[in-house]
Amino acid sequence: MIVAASTTNATKVYGKDDSAVYALNNVSVDFYSGQFTAIMGPSGSGKSTLMHCIAGLDELSSGSARIDDVDLSTLKDKALTELRREKIGFIFQSFNLVPTLTADENIRLPLLLGNEKGNEEWIQRVINTVHLNDRLTHRPSELSGGQQQRVAVARALASEPRIIFADEPTGNLDSTTGTEILRFMRKAVDELGQTIVMVTHDPVAASYADRIVFLADGKIAGEMLEPTPEKVLDRMKSLGN
Amino acid sequence: MFRIALKGILGRKARLVLTSLAVIIGTAFLAGTSVFTATLDRTFNNLFEDVFKNIDGYVRSTEVIEGEFGLQERQRIPAELVDQVNAVPGVADAVPDIQAFARIIGKDGKPLGSEGAGPPTFGSVAVEFKGALWTISEGQWPVGASEVALDEASARNGNYVVGDTVKVVAQSGSREFTLVGIASYGDVRSPGGATFALFDVPTAAEFLGKPGFVDAILVVGDGSRTDEELATDIDAIFDPALKIETLTGAEVTKETQDDIGEALSFFGILLSIFSSIALGVGSFVIYNVFSISAAQRQRENALLRAIGASRRQVTRAMLTESVVVGIFGSIMGFIGGIGLAVGLSGLLRALDIDLPQGGLVVTPGAAFNTIMVGLIVTVASAYLPARRAGKVPPLAAMRATALETAGPGRIRAYAGLASVLLGLVTIGAVTLGATNSLLGVGVLLVFAGTIILGPAIARPVALVLGRPAAKLRGVTGTMARQNAARNPKRTSRTASPVLIGVALVAAVSALAASINGQISDIFSEQFTGDYAVSSQAQGFGGLSPSLATDLGKIEGVQSATGIGTLLVKIDDKGRTLTVITPETIEGNYDIGLIDAKYSDLDKDGIFISLDYAEREELSVGSTVNVVLADTTERALTVRGLYEFNDLAGNRVVSREMFAGANVNSFDFGIYVTMSPGADSKEVRASLQAAVDDYGQGKLLSKQEYIDEQAGQINQLLGLIYGLLFLSVIIAIVGIIITLLLSVFERQREIGLLRAVGMTRSQVRTTVRWESVITSLLGAVLGIVLGLALGWVVVFSLRDQGLTSFQIPVGTTIAIMVLSFIVGVLAAVYPAWRATKVDVLEALTTS
Repeated sequence: MIVAASTTNATKVYGKDDSAVYALNNVSVDFYSGQFTAIMGPSGSGKSTLMHCIAGLDELSSGSARIDDVDLSTLKDKALTELRREKIGFIFQSFNLVPTLTADENIRLPLLLGNEKGNEEWIQRVINTVHLNDRLTHRPSELSGGQQQRVAVARALASEPRIIFADEPTGNLDSTTGTEILRFMRKAVDELGQTIVMVTHDPVAASYADRIVFLADGKIAGEMLEPTPEKVLDRMKSLGN
Repeated sequence: MFRIALKGILGRKARLVLTSLAVIIGTAFLAGTSVFTATLDRTFNNLFEDVFKNIDGYVRSTEVIEGEFGLQERQRIPAELVDQVNAVPGVADAVPDIQAFARIIGKDGKPLGSEGAGPPTFGSVAVEFKGALWTISEGQWPVGASEVALDEASARNGNYVVGDTVKVVAQSGSREFTLVGIASYGDVRSPGGATFALFDVPTAAEFLGKPGFVDAILVVGDGSRTDEELATDIDAIFDPALKIETLTGAEVTKETQDDIGEALSFFGILLSIFSSIALGVGSFVIYNVFSISAAQRQRENALLRAIGASRRQVTRAMLTESVVVGIFGSIMGFIGGIGLAVGLSGLLRALDIDLPQGGLVVTPGAAFNTIMVGLIVTVASAYLPARRAGKVPPLAAMRATALETAGPGRIRAYAGLASVLLGLVTIGAVTLGATNSLLGVGVLLVFAGTIILGPAIARPVALVLGRPAAKLRGVTGTMARQNAARNPKRTSRTASPVLIGVALVAAVSALAASINGQISDIFSEQFTGDYAVSSQAQGFGGLSPSLATDLGKIEGVQSATGIGTLLVKIDDKGRTLTVITPETIEGNYDIGLIDAKYSDLDKDGIFISLDYAEREELSVGSTVNVVLADTTERALTVRGLYEFNDLAGNRVVSREMFAGANVNSFDFGIYVTMSPGADSKEVRASLQAAVDDYGQGKLLSKQEYIDEQAGQINQLLGLIYGLLFLSVIIAIVGIIITLLLSVFERQREIGLLRAVGMTRSQVRTTVRWESVITSLLGAVLGIVLGLALGWVVVFSLRDQGLTSFQIPVGTTIAIMVLSFIVGVLAAVYPAWRATKVDVLEALTTS
């Protein structure tokens, strides 16, 4: 399998010497192309930090993070920004959209920022997949929470990124809407061949993934393939949640 | 609650500084101007205190003509009175004093001192005397018709040393003297930057004024009686018919100081008008900052309300903050103002206006005033936002922050519209014949209406103005455009200071352009010669009348005529007559005579304008009685009427009318026509040589002269622009503060944009364009309002002869370009701050 993103001995330390706190401690992990991976762990386990560091939003204290074999620590702010724009898609828990832009503009935002046209056929397919055709001219304030999150999914997909990072994408939604979003993400992997890495603490959400990477105390605490909510819940309990 | 307010302020020091900035700048100008005028005031008071320090009595004529524009001419007194005064018991010494226009010509042929705008240039007497104002610091006192002494500063500036030949120009023409002495005045090189050429008494009387006459007599007593007794004793020797009075030293000091004080108070009023404008503009910024701050703290305030704080307590907490800001800002502003005053004094020194030592006058009163005004303006500006803060429902604490995105109320839109319409109707009524005084009301209504309407029109106008940005800059431009339009209230409050400043500039320049156009039309029509010599002197002195005569003798010149002014009394009121030379004016200058010829004007005649004839019910053959400055009377017969009174005024007399009288009269312009077929280059060269010989005035071709006359208004314009510049600075500060607060408020949005791939330079672009759109919003509305205001002013002056309104195209374009630049500059710091937003922090903090 092709590795889309990876870390080697990723370490993130806050503070110094005695008061040093390890958010990540020697984490080495690969994320495979065409797979839907979930990162799970109790709060404070470092799962968000891991995602931020691989996505080029945060810097590691030592070790390396790579997207497509590009070592992120070698990039300056501008190159890093461009890499995020071109190779990474983001779905955040909330406040995903720019309030002054329409749904359509929000979807195309990474392309517009890069002054690129993008693949129009692909974009239309994405918009169809998330059922947003009749909402394109609306602004975020005129959309429901679920619709807003669908726009965010569409934006993450629009530029055909190498990898999509989702940070608790259903955390702010009711379970029906959340399920809908997870289905779209699943569809994006199955039908559109995308790569998704999702941070979550919800076993149900994690069960949509192909593979789960567990984190505890800043270290890898195991993996699970073909998860179900029950199996995930059991494992989480054993992690001392 | 008070403690909470204080904690809130100290917790946000950066915001305190930002909010205070508007107060600081507004009050700094106020403080600076008041300190500066107080300093000038005291400087001149001290100066004249010194001047008359040793003088116990001052003898002069009681007869004085006070003309328009503060012009004044006092009758001279016979020189032989000096001996009579000297004979009065108790008088130790008495000397004559003469002070009149004279210019010292430098070695390069150019007059010393700036012509026109600068300090005056004097000719005076220098004699050895107990109460002498002048002391000779080098050489000796001038004696006889060929000797002169110069003040120290002039000697130095002109590189003159004792023994040099110095040319001096006065009313009677130009003459060369030998420099025998260099004089200093008290402890300064020259008083107030004025230049002085000093002569002995007979020379001064003959060269500067009229032989045998002096302006006043300075008296020093022997100490045997008080100054008051001495003055009474001196008065007693004169026949009341002579109309002579004696002032004590204290009285003449006081009078001079009052005169100067009056002139300075005009200056002070002018400065305070502009500092009021600046403070008014500043209050918009303060109001805006507190509004934004209240909106951003909505949740915090709601929480306070939820846990039991009353509305009043929330409001009061915010007002407390405004008091702290007001006091802090005003104190800083006062300190800044002192710096400003130091700068202004430095500027004067750089212009070679040498003020006696004494330092700045910083009174506790000025400090108190500044702080009180700053405090009141700040608290008043914060009142509405504070009240609004108190009205926040406790429930808002539970909701996500709904920042002031609410659109403008309908009532506001209607109120604004009603005000604008009412204003327009009022102005319309005036154009249809209602009284002029309603114009001001109309203008005020339109202005107030536009400001009220601001939030309602800010969004559509910002969207239109932002369209090019969106086209040009893609998604960053689109976001800038939407950002400018998203908080219409905030945008309009931010643009209002720009609007006010721009409106004033546009109005003033429209007025100036109209006057300008009018003046060139008038000169094109009335000045029919080929060349003109123009005098830059304003009010005091001018071209020597003999210059016109000399120019007329040059080969290739058909005729040259001088036009001047003469101050007289008509019906006991000071009036200015226009003086012409009927023999030479024909073909040079046209005043639009009706059924009359210039040659009809003899020494007993007068021409009057049609307007004047109608107003005073005079006609050809009527008699006009005038009293000259030397108190002699003339009964003048109206010999003709004329049409053009724009420049010639309402009364024209011949130079012969006052020939031999003891009065001052200078020409303000000389008009020259070439002989047919003469070579214009040669003629110009000879004219130039003659003018250079006199060392005053400027030789100009017809077109150059017209441009120069029309351009004079631009000097005034420069001053007004300079004063309005401060309002522009405050407007810029307002934009900076608003942008900073907006950037702060939109941290999450910026973080998100950065995460999905917006580069730092794109972040900067977005902020920059939002700033430019806001600035242009103010500029466009300001130009529209300002031009309308300009039109109204021009219209209201239609009776004063201002008939055509002109749009200042160049200035309008310049304003647009400048407001673009202002937008870009104001965005520099906020844009930089925006790029410093920590992406992760912005995304993860809720």
